[in-house]
Amino acid sequence: MIARLIFYFFAVLAVVSSLFVVTRKNAMHSVMYLAFTVLSVAGIFFSLQAEYLGAIQILVYGGGIVVLYIFVIIIVNLSEIKPERRKLLPRIFIFALPALLFFLILDVLLVNRPAPPSGPEAGLTFPAFAEMLFSTYLVPFEIASILLLAVLIGAILVARKRLLHDSD
Amino acid sequence: MIPINAVFVFGLLIFFIGLFGVLFRKNLVIMLMSLELLLNGVNILLAGLSHQLRSPRGSIFAIFVILMAVSEAAVGFGLVLSYFRQKKTYDMDEFNELKG
Repeated sequence: MIARLIFYFFAVLAVVSSLFVVTRKNAMHSVMYLAFTVLSVAGIFFSLQAEYLGAIQILVYGGGIVVLYIFVIIIVNLSEIKPERRKLLPRIFIFALPALLFFLILDVLLVNRPAPPSGPEAGLTFPAFAEMLFSTYLVPFEIASILLLAVLIGAILVARKRLLHDSD
Repeated sequence: MIPINAVFVFGLLIFFIGLFGVLFRKNLVIMLMSLELLLNGVNILLAGLSHQLRSPRGSIFAIFVILMAVSEAAVGFGLVLSYFRQKKTYDMDEFNELKG
Protein backbone atom coordinates (compact mmCIF):
# COMPACT_ATOMS: atom_id res chain seq x y z
CA MET A 1 0.00 0.00 0.00
CA ILE A 2 2.77 2.40 0.99
CA ALA A 3 4.78 1.44 -2.12
CA ARG A 4 1.73 2.18 -4.23
CA LEU A 5 1.25 5.61 -2.63
CA ILE A 6 4.93 6.42 -3.16
CA PHE A 7 4.65 5.28 -6.78
CA TYR A 8 1.64 7.52 -7.51
CA PHE A 9 3.21 10.49 -5.73
CA PHE A 10 6.43 10.31 -7.75
CA ALA A 11 4.51 9.51 -10.94
CA VAL A 12 2.48 12.71 -10.71
CA LEU A 13 5.60 14.67 -9.81
CA ALA A 14 7.56 13.25 -12.76
CA VAL A 15 4.79 13.82 -15.32
CA VAL A 16 4.22 17.43 -14.25
CA SER A 17 7.90 18.32 -14.18
CA SER A 18 8.59 16.61 -17.52
CA LEU A 19 5.76 18.66 -19.03
CA PHE A 20 7.63 21.73 -17.77
CA VAL A 21 10.86 20.43 -19.35
CA VAL A 22 9.41 20.51 -22.85
CA THR A 23 7.39 23.71 -22.48
CA ARG A 24 9.77 26.19 -20.81
CA LYS A 25 11.36 28.79 -23.08
CA ASN A 26 14.51 29.22 -21.01
CA ALA A 27 16.86 26.25 -21.38
CA MET A 28 18.18 26.67 -17.82
CA HIS A 29 14.68 26.31 -16.37
CA SER A 30 14.24 23.19 -18.47
CA VAL A 31 17.42 21.70 -17.00
CA MET A 32 16.17 22.32 -13.47
CA TYR A 33 12.88 20.59 -14.24
CA LEU A 34 14.82 17.76 -15.90
CA ALA A 35 16.75 17.27 -12.63
CA PHE A 36 13.42 17.14 -10.81
CA THR A 37 12.07 14.61 -13.30
CA VAL A 38 15.02 12.22 -13.14
CA LEU A 39 15.01 12.27 -9.33
CA SER A 40 11.28 11.49 -9.33
CA VAL A 41 11.93 8.63 -11.74
CA ALA A 42 14.60 7.38 -9.33
CA GLY A 43 11.91 7.37 -6.62
CA ILE A 44 9.72 5.31 -8.92
CA PHE A 45 12.53 2.81 -9.41
CA PHE A 46 12.83 2.50 -5.64
CA SER A 47 9.09 1.88 -5.31
CA LEU A 48 9.38 -0.80 -8.04
CA GLN A 49 12.06 -2.59 -5.96
CA ALA A 50 14.80 -1.77 -8.48
CA GLU A 51 17.10 -0.25 -5.88
CA TYR A 52 20.28 -0.51 -7.91
CA LEU A 53 18.59 1.12 -10.88
CA GLY A 54 17.37 3.97 -8.68
CA ALA A 55 20.83 4.54 -7.23
CA ILE A 56 22.38 4.53 -10.71
CA GLN A 57 19.67 6.91 -11.89
CA ILE A 58 20.51 9.39 -9.12
CA LEU A 59 24.28 9.06 -9.67
CA VAL A 60 24.35 9.13 -13.46
CA TYR A 61 21.42 11.38 -14.30
CA GLY A 62 21.21 13.60 -11.25
CA GLY A 63 24.95 13.86 -10.79
CA GLY A 64 26.26 13.52 -14.33
CA ILE A 65 23.94 14.33 -17.16
CA VAL A 66 22.17 17.28 -15.53
CA VAL A 67 25.51 18.87 -14.64
CA LEU A 68 26.67 18.27 -18.22
CA TYR A 69 23.60 20.11 -19.53
CA ILE A 70 24.21 23.00 -17.16
CA PHE A 71 27.84 23.25 -18.26
CA VAL A 72 26.92 23.29 -21.94
CA ILE A 73 24.34 26.04 -21.39
CA ILE A 74 26.87 28.06 -19.37
CA ILE A 75 29.72 27.58 -21.87
CA VAL A 76 27.76 29.03 -24.76
CA ASN A 77 26.81 32.59 -24.03
CA LEU A 78 23.04 32.69 -23.71
CA SER A 79 22.79 36.21 -25.07
CA GLU A 80 24.27 35.01 -28.38
CA ILE A 81 21.40 32.65 -28.98
CA LYS A 82 18.80 33.85 -31.41
CA PRO A 83 15.16 33.55 -30.31
CA GLU A 84 13.45 30.32 -31.15
CA ARG A 85 11.45 30.15 -34.35
CA ARG A 86 8.88 27.51 -35.16
CA LYS A 87 8.29 27.76 -38.85
CA LEU A 88 8.79 24.09 -39.61
CA LEU A 89 6.22 22.90 -37.05
CA PRO A 90 4.90 19.55 -38.26
CA ARG A 91 1.20 20.18 -37.77
CA ILE A 92 0.00 16.64 -38.28
CA PHE A 93 1.76 15.57 -35.10
CA ILE A 94 -0.38 17.92 -33.01
CA PHE A 95 -3.31 15.58 -33.61
CA ALA A 96 -1.50 12.31 -34.28
CA LEU A 97 0.54 12.18 -31.06
CA PRO A 98 -2.27 12.63 -28.50
CA ALA A 99 -4.49 10.27 -30.50
CA LEU A 100 -1.79 7.59 -30.50
CA LEU A 101 -1.17 8.08 -26.78
CA PHE A 102 -4.90 7.87 -26.06
CA PHE A 103 -5.29 4.63 -27.99
CA LEU A 104 -2.23 3.06 -26.36
CA ILE A 105 -3.49 3.95 -22.86
CA LEU A 106 -6.95 2.66 -23.76
CA ASP A 107 -5.34 -0.55 -24.98
CA VAL A 108 -3.38 -0.96 -21.76
CA LEU A 109 -6.36 -0.27 -19.53
CA LEU A 110 -9.17 -2.09 -21.33
CA VAL A 111 -7.69 -5.16 -23.01
CA ASN A 112 -7.32 -8.02 -20.60
CA ARG A 113 -4.20 -9.99 -21.25
CA PRO A 114 -3.43 -13.31 -19.60
CA ALA A 115 -0.79 -13.09 -16.92
CA PRO A 116 2.64 -14.09 -18.18
CA PRO A 117 3.89 -17.46 -16.98
CA SER A 118 6.13 -17.04 -13.99
CA GLY A 119 9.04 -19.35 -14.64
CA PRO A 120 11.76 -20.27 -12.19
CA GLU A 121 13.22 -16.78 -12.19
CA ALA A 122 15.84 -15.59 -9.78
CA GLY A 123 13.79 -12.98 -7.93
CA LEU A 124 14.50 -9.33 -7.37
CA THR A 125 17.24 -9.60 -4.76
CA PHE A 126 20.49 -7.79 -5.28
CA PRO A 127 22.71 -10.94 -5.38
CA ALA A 128 20.46 -12.42 -8.08
CA PHE A 129 20.79 -9.22 -10.08
CA ALA A 130 24.59 -9.20 -9.80
CA GLU A 131 24.87 -12.90 -10.58
CA MET A 132 22.81 -12.58 -13.73
CA LEU A 133 24.64 -9.44 -14.84
CA PHE A 134 28.05 -11.06 -14.53
CA SER A 135 27.18 -14.47 -15.93
CA THR A 136 24.40 -14.34 -18.53
CA TYR A 137 25.05 -10.75 -19.58
CA LEU A 138 28.83 -10.70 -19.22
CA VAL A 139 29.56 -10.17 -22.92
CA PRO A 140 27.25 -7.12 -23.30
CA PHE A 141 28.78 -5.76 -20.10
CA GLU A 142 32.29 -5.96 -21.55
CA ILE A 143 31.16 -4.52 -24.88
CA ALA A 144 29.65 -1.63 -22.91
CA SER A 145 33.07 -0.80 -21.54
CA ILE A 146 34.43 -0.62 -25.09
CA LEU A 147 31.53 1.69 -25.98
CA LEU A 148 32.40 3.96 -23.07
CA LEU A 149 36.04 4.12 -24.13
CA ALA A 150 35.00 5.00 -27.68
CA VAL A 151 32.65 7.68 -26.36
CA LEU A 152 35.41 9.14 -24.19
CA ILE A 153 37.75 9.50 -27.16
CA GLY A 154 35.04 10.50 -29.64
CA ALA A 155 33.49 13.22 -27.49
CA ILE A 156 36.89 14.86 -26.91
CA LEU A 157 37.73 14.67 -30.63
CA VAL A 158 34.40 16.11 -31.69
CA ALA A 159 34.28 18.91 -29.14
CA ARG A 160 37.85 20.20 -29.34
CA LYS A 161 38.47 23.58 -30.87
CA ARG A 162 41.08 22.84 -33.52
CA LEU A 163 40.42 20.46 -36.36
CA LEU A 164 42.62 17.40 -36.72
CA HIS A 165 44.49 18.51 -39.83
CA ASP A 166 45.41 21.89 -38.40
CA SER A 167 49.07 22.16 -37.54
CA ASP A 168 49.54 22.79 -33.88
CA MET B 1 2.32 -4.78 -5.50
CA ILE B 2 2.03 -1.93 -7.95
CA PRO B 3 -0.38 -2.70 -10.81
CA ILE B 4 1.47 -3.14 -14.09
CA ASN B 5 -1.18 -1.06 -15.90
CA ALA B 6 -0.30 2.01 -13.83
CA VAL B 7 3.37 1.54 -14.67
CA PHE B 8 2.53 1.19 -18.35
CA VAL B 9 0.37 4.33 -18.41
CA PHE B 10 3.00 6.33 -16.55
CA GLY B 11 5.86 5.16 -18.78
CA LEU B 12 3.81 5.91 -21.88
CA LEU B 13 3.04 9.42 -20.58
CA ILE B 14 6.71 10.21 -19.99
CA PHE B 15 7.65 8.71 -23.37
CA PHE B 16 5.05 10.78 -25.21
CA ILE B 17 5.98 13.98 -23.42
CA GLY B 18 9.55 13.37 -24.55
CA LEU B 19 8.39 12.62 -28.09
CA PHE B 20 6.41 15.84 -28.07
CA GLY B 21 9.53 17.74 -27.06
CA VAL B 22 11.66 16.14 -29.78
CA LEU B 23 9.11 16.89 -32.47
CA PHE B 24 7.97 20.38 -31.52
CA ARG B 25 10.89 22.17 -29.91
CA LYS B 26 13.51 23.75 -32.14
CA ASN B 27 16.10 24.33 -29.44
CA LEU B 28 18.77 21.64 -29.83
CA VAL B 29 19.57 21.42 -26.10
CA ILE B 30 15.92 20.98 -25.15
CA MET B 31 15.58 18.34 -27.87
CA LEU B 32 18.45 16.41 -26.25
CA MET B 33 16.68 16.73 -22.89
CA SER B 34 13.54 15.31 -24.45
CA LEU B 35 15.61 12.36 -25.68
CA GLU B 36 16.55 11.70 -22.07
CA LEU B 37 12.85 11.73 -21.22
CA LEU B 38 12.18 9.16 -23.95
CA LEU B 39 14.84 6.83 -22.57
CA ASN B 40 13.53 7.36 -19.03
CA GLY B 41 10.06 6.31 -20.14
CA VAL B 42 11.46 3.10 -21.58
CA ASN B 43 13.41 2.47 -18.38
CA ILE B 44 10.24 2.82 -16.32
CA LEU B 45 8.53 0.18 -18.47
CA LEU B 46 11.53 -2.14 -18.11
CA ALA B 47 11.67 -1.71 -14.33
CA GLY B 48 7.91 -2.25 -14.07
CA LEU B 49 8.04 -5.46 -16.09
CA SER B 50 11.00 -6.62 -14.04
CA HIS B 51 8.93 -6.02 -10.91
CA GLN B 52 5.93 -7.81 -12.39
CA LEU B 53 7.83 -10.89 -13.56
CA ARG B 54 10.04 -11.08 -10.42
CA SER B 55 13.11 -11.19 -12.64
CA PRO B 56 16.23 -8.99 -12.68
CA ARG B 57 16.45 -9.08 -16.48
CA GLY B 58 14.46 -5.88 -16.95
CA SER B 59 16.68 -3.98 -14.52
CA ILE B 60 19.82 -5.24 -16.26
CA PHE B 61 18.51 -4.10 -19.61
CA ALA B 62 17.61 -0.73 -18.10
CA ILE B 63 21.20 -0.39 -16.87
CA PHE B 64 22.38 -0.83 -20.44
CA VAL B 65 19.84 1.74 -21.62
CA ILE B 66 21.17 4.24 -19.06
CA LEU B 67 24.70 3.56 -20.25
CA MET B 68 23.64 4.23 -23.81
CA ALA B 69 21.90 7.43 -22.73
CA VAL B 70 25.10 8.67 -21.12
CA SER B 71 27.13 7.94 -24.24
CA GLU B 72 24.54 9.66 -26.39
CA ALA B 73 24.54 12.73 -24.15
CA ALA B 74 28.34 13.02 -24.18
CA VAL B 75 28.75 12.69 -27.95
CA GLY B 76 25.65 14.78 -28.58
CA PHE B 77 27.05 17.64 -26.51
CA GLY B 78 30.36 17.43 -28.32
CA LEU B 79 28.50 17.82 -31.60
CA VAL B 80 26.33 20.64 -30.23
CA LEU B 81 29.37 22.55 -29.00
CA SER B 82 31.30 22.22 -32.25
CA TYR B 83 28.21 23.21 -34.22
CA PHE B 84 27.52 26.18 -31.96
CA ARG B 85 31.04 27.49 -32.57
CA GLN B 86 30.22 27.84 -36.25
CA LYS B 87 26.57 28.91 -36.33
CA LYS B 88 25.96 30.67 -32.98
CA THR B 89 22.51 29.19 -32.75
CA TYR B 90 20.66 26.20 -31.31
CA ASP B 91 17.78 26.53 -33.77
CA MET B 92 17.17 23.33 -35.72
CA ASP B 93 15.65 25.31 -38.61
CA GLU B 94 19.09 26.79 -39.26
CA PHE B 95 20.54 23.34 -39.96
CA ASN B 96 20.10 23.63 -43.70
CA GLU B 97 23.57 23.38 -45.21
CA LEU B 98 22.69 20.18 -47.07
CA LYS B 99 19.49 21.61 -48.56
CA GLY B 100 19.51 21.00 -52.32
